[in-house]
Amino acid sequence: MKLLRGKRAVAAVLAAVLATGGATGCSAPGADDKSSDDSGPIKLALADAQSGQLSSLGAWELKGAKLAVSEWNAKGGINGRQITLDVFDTQGDPTIGTNLARKIASEGYIAMIGTAESAVTIAMAPILKQEGIPNITSGQSTGLVAVKSEFLFLNGPTSTTYDETLAKHVVDGQGIKQIAMITNNGSYGKGEHDAFLKALTARGVTPVADQVVTTDQKDFSAALTTIRQKNPKLIFLGAEEVESGLIVKQARDLGITAPFAGAAPQGTPVFLDTAGATNAEGTIVSSPYLSNDISEASKSFAAAYKAAYNEEAELHGAKAYDGTQIVLTALRSSNVASGKDLAEAIRATKYEGLLGSFAYDETGVGIRATSIGVIRSGKLVAAAG
Amino acid sequence: MQVTLQTIIGGISLGAVYALVALGFSLVYRTMGLVNFAHGNVVTVGAYLASTFYLSTKLPFALAMIVAIAVTGVIGLVIERVLRPLENKDFDLMLIGTIGFGIVLDALIIMIWGATGRAVPSPVAGAPIELFGLRIRTYDLVVLAIAALATVLLVLFLSRTKRGAAMQAVAMDHEAATAVGINVGRSNAIAFMVGAGLAALAGGLVGPLLYVSPTLGGALGIKGFAAAILGGFGSIPGAVVGGLAIGVLDSFAAGHFQGYSELVTFLVFTAIIMIRPTGVFGERTVNRA
Repeated sequence: MKLLRGKRAVAAVLAAVLATGGATGCSAPGADDKSSDDSGPIKLALADAQSGQLSSLGAWELKGAKLAVSEWNAKGGINGRQITLDVFDTQGDPTIGTNLARKIASEGYIAMIGTAESAVTIAMAPILKQEGIPNITSGQSTGLVAVKSEFLFLNGPTSTTYDETLAKHVVDGQGIKQIAMITNNGSYGKGEHDAFLKALTARGVTPVADQVVTTDQKDFSAALTTIRQKNPKLIFLGAEEVESGLIVKQARDLGITAPFAGAAPQGTPVFLDTAGATNAEGTIVSSPYLSNDISEASKSFAAAYKAAYNEEAELHGAKAYDGTQIVLTALRSSNVASGKDLAEAIRATKYEGLLGSFAYDETGVGIRATSIGVIRSGKLVAAAG
Repeated sequence: MQVTLQTIIGGISLGAVYALVALGFSLVYRTMGLVNFAHGNVVTVGAYLASTFYLSTKLPFALAMIVAIAVTGVIGLVIERVLRPLENKDFDLMLIGTIGFGIVLDALIIMIWGATGRAVPSPVAGAPIELFGLRIRTYDLVVLAIAALATVLLVLFLSRTKRGAAMQAVAMDHEAATAVGINVGRSNAIAFMVGAGLAALAGGLVGPLLYVSPTLGGALGIKGFAAAILGGFGSIPGAVVGGLAIGVLDSFAAGHFQGYSELVTFLVFTAIIMIRPTGVFGERTVNRA
């Protein structure tokens, strides 16, 4: 009897878990009401983590994309039609992402903005390709290019660009050869690991340590103590904002004084807060958008962003803003086409954005340059030389 | 050698936090025979409350913790009060009730504090202590001391006070305890309250070590649950040993197996549980389910 009750309890728990998991994004495949007619608003979807550890990325993305849409709506929309932007919460989870991709397809959205996570985007890409929905992502993993979907576009450079620029700066420019690496085994970290290692190998440099951590690891003493014993001059960091911050904080506690170097996550306020400003001092960052003062366009974007949300603009918001602008420009130039025609229109769009000049090729990459910045007194500034 | 010792040090401070989480799980389990699936979410609530009082209200860290523990203890009482009608009627529903409470708390956290997290600066200033080339964070020592103190107080409460002895009696045989006039409902309420308080203590302490976000308790909850099982579910010393063991095991696996550390940690855990299904201390006196 006791055993039986135990089993029942387990079954009940399982049922509850299945019910909560299944309820997040289930719409029957037959529920197809594609409304790509010529009247009514133009429906854009934004899929991003709005909850969970990666939700700060999703929040920034949403703000950037919303700003672009509201600017176009204020100017009268496209062909007299207003644009709507609906939000879908991926929770940073690829499984939820695939469910949402089906939902976005069945509810007749013309294009999708997001996601900020390569792994989620890669999971969603086959469905979006099959359904003919162009998607402009903030992911930067080279895996996105490997998907070979003609409907998938990147709103920034790939890891290869970030890390090639970084390696050029630290190895060629500063002559640092004693480099340790610490990366996580998630989609982003793995991409960073491979791209930076490739850039180092091309320069004949072998890292003195190559430590891999998991995405939800909390204690890095083992990896960092190993790195400390190798006495590197620089530590390459390939992990998302919060984890990167924890690694830097623990490294300083362990007495590691070498500066860290990395890509986009290391330039964000979340990284700075988690690590602490003094610990993050001197971090070298490869980023296509160093600050809000680099150009006239970025200054006006930052002002509009500040006015709308009362906070400082940063890279992810700028990327999503650029990406949304590109989609909207393509929608105008193609007279609100959809499917393959819209994808071709995006590919043909030449756009001067906050990150630079976008010109897409067949891989879906539109921009191929980053700049080097350094964190000084808690602020990311352009590096000298 | 240095790497090994430093790894142990790194594992122990998180292990102490896992131990506190495990204590909460075990206390409720040994009193009621119930696994409180909302426990991880209570940890998150505690972490948010402590960090809010510390950062926004600018209370001293110790005071912020005490307030957080008190408020979270009340949440524990509320959970128990709502679930009480189900006690001795339908145990499965009670179990699902705790899952439901977990989801509710999760939603409340996101409504109140937002989906993004916050970093909590360390309340203990000062550089890490250097000893034979090893570095020990002063805050880690604080965490260990508080966790040890909490454990001692809990053991004293259970063994030396009348209320604690009553709870022990309920844990052993709740029908007999009722027969000799012990209020089982009150006993359960105290277990939930103290369990929630321990969760808040764990959450508040771990805030400056990690990053306070809505997912914080999920990760700690799983490790804490594993720790409780490893030590012997329901056993107080078992929870402590289990917590420290999981913390150190985790750190070692991270050092040796890098990307596969999580897999290795839980494989080792599974192996131990297969050899000793009742855990290290193997009490498991309670089985009301």
